[in-house]
Amino acid sequence: MIELHERTRRISPTRIHEILLRYGAKSLVDPFMGLPTHLNYLKRHGIAVHGGDVLEWFVRVGEGIVVNDLTILRDHEVAEIVEMIPGRIYALDLFKAWEGVFFTEEQCVYLGVWFDNVRNLRSDGQTGLAILGLWRVFCYWLEKAQQPDEMPDLPPSELAWYYIRQTERWVASNMRRNTVRQSDVMQTLERQRADALLFAPPPRNALHHADPRIWMWEAWWQGNPYFTLEHAYRDTLFGARSNDPAAYQRSLAGILSEAGEFPLLIVATNEARLAEIEPLVRNARAKVECYAPNDSEIYLIATT
Amino acid sequence: MALFQEADGDPRVALDRLADVLSYYGAVGDAAAGLAFGFSLRKAAFARSIAVALDVDERLLDAVSIAGLMHSVGALGNPALLRDSDLPERLATMERWDIPASGARVCAAIGAIPEATADIVRWQSEAWDGTGFPDQLRWNGIPVSSVALALADRLVRATEPEEALASVAEEAGRTYAPAHARAFMLWFHRTGAETESFSFPRAVLHPELSDPGDLMLDIADRIDRHLGVPGRARNVLRLAEASARILGCSAAEIEALRIATVAFGAGELHDTFESTLDPLVRLGLERRAEQAREGARLLENLPTLAAAAPLVAARAEWFDGTGKPSGLGRDAIPIGARILATAIAYDALDIDTRARPAARRATAGERLDGAAGTHFDPRVVTAVLQAAKAHA
Repeated sequence: MIELHERTRRISPTRIHEILLRYGAKSLVDPFMGLPTHLNYLKRHGIAVHGGDVLEWFVRVGEGIVVNDLTILRDHEVAEIVEMIPGRIYALDLFKAWEGVFFTEEQCVYLGVWFDNVRNLRSDGQTGLAILGLWRVFCYWLEKAQQPDEMPDLPPSELAWYYIRQTERWVASNMRRNTVRQSDVMQTLERQRADALLFAPPPRNALHHADPRIWMWEAWWQGNPYFTLEHAYRDTLFGARSNDPAAYQRSLAGILSEAGEFPLLIVATNEARLAEIEPLVRNARAKVECYAPNDSEIYLIATT
Repeated sequence: MALFQEADGDPRVALDRLADVLSYYGAVGDAAAGLAFGFSLRKAAFARSIAVALDVDERLLDAVSIAGLMHSVGALGNPALLRDSDLPERLATMERWDIPASGARVCAAIGAIPEATADIVRWQSEAWDGTGFPDQLRWNGIPVSSVALALADRLVRATEPEEALASVAEEAGRTYAPAHARAFMLWFHRTGAETESFSFPRAVLHPELSDPGDLMLDIADRIDRHLGVPGRARNVLRLAEASARILGCSAAEIEALRIATVAFGAGELHDTFESTLDPLVRLGLERRAEQAREGARLLENLPTLAAAAPLVAARAEWFDGTGKPSGLGRDAIPIGARILATAIAYDALDIDTRARPAARRATAGERLDGAAGTHFDPRVVTAVLQAAKAHA
């Protein structure tokens, strides 16, 4: 049995949109975007958004709901994702290592089938939508493993169909260029300029506390059930070399220094971490406003 | 522009007015969202009861109640719901996703209600699996107080309570956290999905932070923008109040009339029919009477606003007794209703007149004068024209 997180990071895109409107910002960079549903919201409301992350599946999803303006999946294309296609060769034992540990045999077979089917889609947009939809199935299964009697048994293909259809509802155009890139924070900041920078700093040693629903899906996308986040983050700013407090502070300060190029900086944090983050932001910028709608959601807004 | 008479320092009066205006706001939101009359009251009552079952912090229960009441105020002005909206279905759906966030902004601007109300409204449509809207929050990122509102919504929308029970069970792990679904089911079986009727938690209001009259005017402005007639209520209010003074109406009559002028537009929200017809012709009278009835219904159960209900209800009556819905005539029509109807017509005619080329137009005054004695009370027409002249 795997332990799922009790708390989830809360970033409210409606709130960020209100902040952007207040300061007249029309474009935004989020170099540590995670699952980019918040960028999708901002995009749909006319903001040009640019995201970056180290994990590839986040970036792929970004191609589906951030970069993609109009591609959705037709019924026969969804059918070609959720079920085995006759004549196609599948690595059905690709996720055998998870069998009996996290998933049932049937679920592991489906993970293998979907792994191949998603790679045969025609566009990056469709691939991103499928990855997001299937990830929700994956989360459902992990949750159900915890509480088997509390959630209905739904056939995998039906669940996958439902979630892929849910996902593509969010596809929309804002008539702007929106981008996502797989890169470390600093590279994203160096390569992409915008009116505003949104930065949600990960806690120190965040890798060791990452939600399994996040890193396991990267493992699925990589086709490697033995994948570890330490490996993915090895050479990145918030990887192992930021484990000690001093190095972590240096990493944050480095980002905030680089963020000086952005007219508006929004640092998203929470009550528990405010005392650690706020002095660093105030060191980096002269004008800082603290907007704290609730304990889980605090925004430090820095302007020039 | 004061809407209500002075409260003579009685704090209960201000509190009662505020509670009524907020309840009215909730009902207006329902009408704009196309929901049945009384939806928000039922949702508020259920939300509080369900919130207790979900172990929501006791200090938030009143905010949950008020959030239930105000759940759809964001529907007013939503581009997908505007009377003249012609958005394609996909875009209209996306616009509707913004209703909770707009509602949250409205709630945040009302200083008198608990601060937490806004966020409860903001996240009432989020889903456990992250497929909700507007923020696509997921798992425990969604506050339980908003979950209570979502479950109450499901219950009130269901044709039969058991239908809600079945759908919540089916969506455990998707729309709802399994633990919340279980708590809802236990609550359902324990209470039979029955709860006490809504009673406004007046104790948490801060009447010093919001003036009920200003709030009514804000609501009227939002209704007018929603209906595509910006500024109508304020114009009618100015004209009607001045006319009532010319006619020597009492202070109580003037107060009721003021409320009626800012509230009559709410009756048009439920109706997609846009009357571009001349306000002086009989065509469309049935619809106007229906709108009058709907407008009055929103006011009649709220003690501090109820005096305006008969005025709104009778705004489609004609002075000669041939109007709708009751065929009242002459003095049987309350004086406030006669003034209201005449002021509304003058405002519409005035706008219409200004839109036509000067060479081809009769003035609004000339046209209104022509309807005196049949449609309108001649005494009231004279007063309205006098008030309009003074205002010009």
